[in-house]
Amino acid sequence: MIEIEVLKKIHFLKNLPDDTLEKIGIVAQLETIGEEAILVRQDKKMNLVYMLVSGKIFLNCRSASGKPLTLDELSPGQSFGIFAFLGESLSNFTAICPEKSTVITLSADKMIQLCEKDFKLGYTFMQQVVQMFKSRKDKHTRQFIHSLAIHPDMV
Amino acid sequence: MVKIEDLKRINMLKAVPDHLLEIIAQEAHLSIFGTNTQLFSVGQRVDIYYMLIMGQVALKVELRPDIDVILDNFQSGASFGSSALLEGSKASYTAVCQEPCEVITLYGPRMIEVCETNQELGYHLMKGVAGQYKRTIDARAQMIIKTLDSHPELKQSIDDIETLTPAY
Repeated sequence: MIEIEVLKKIHFLKNLPDDTLEKIGIVAQLETIGEEAILVRQDKKMNLVYMLVSGKIFLNCRSASGKPLTLDELSPGQSFGIFAFLGESLSNFTAICPEKSTVITLSADKMIQLCEKDFKLGYTFMQQVVQMFKSRKDKHTRQFIHSLAIHPDMV
Repeated sequence: MVKIEDLKRINMLKAVPDHLLEIIAQEAHLSIFGTNTQLFSVGQRVDIYYMLIMGQVALKVELRPDIDVILDNFQSGASFGSSALLEGSKASYTAVCQEPCEVITLYGPRMIEVCETNQELGYHLMKGVAGQYKRTIDARAQMIIKTLDSHPELKQSIDDIETLTPAY
């Protein structure tokens, strides 16, 4: 059981109503992760959504030619793995804790069960997921167009 | 009103139970659009959600005044215009019919109302839309990573590269 106040520190959850957060708090877990622990490996199935309460997480990936690329450094309040709520989902990065960290984990299967038992919660929750994905999709499209515009073959 | 059998041909509705498809069927209309019909354009408020039964629709954005980039070419079973199902959302691309198209349409503001009263339907529709966005996000991220793989120097020019990851 995780307190609502702790859940509200997570960007992905902060706009959800209190009654939804209460139910999420029941199925979520608070975990302490040791230094250098690997939370998720690239190309492996993701079953958990991770939300960082304290500490740091690096998201790294290897390109098709094997080059390492550090994509992101997560700070408290940020989450990853939200795609797991949609079922079959392979991670396209490796997540590593460079220091001792505290994370909230949420089982995607348990969350889906919760959504399908209480559709009011499910609808509110999935609207939140869609808004975040839309904003990210629009950003990716802009990045892609920008990378094309500056591509040496296009200039 | 359209037939449930037609709705079952739409990929994002495949997991939606029949009793909910019946509700969607009552709200839906079947339309035919000619080649080169522009369904909506980038930045425009979108009111209609489109589900393609037959034909091909290109989603494009302008790279430069003389160059358009086709982001996707949608064929039967695909759907687009998800902004119509989200309040206050605008199109991020222009949609143009590449050939005559048979399309099921849903009026977004009406569907938002229906979802507010039937949240089971709302949940399934939003889950379908989230799945579509996920596939697009993955595809775009892979394209950007592929570009960076062959031209790593471009990374300096993309200042929000960290948003390639699905971290929120």
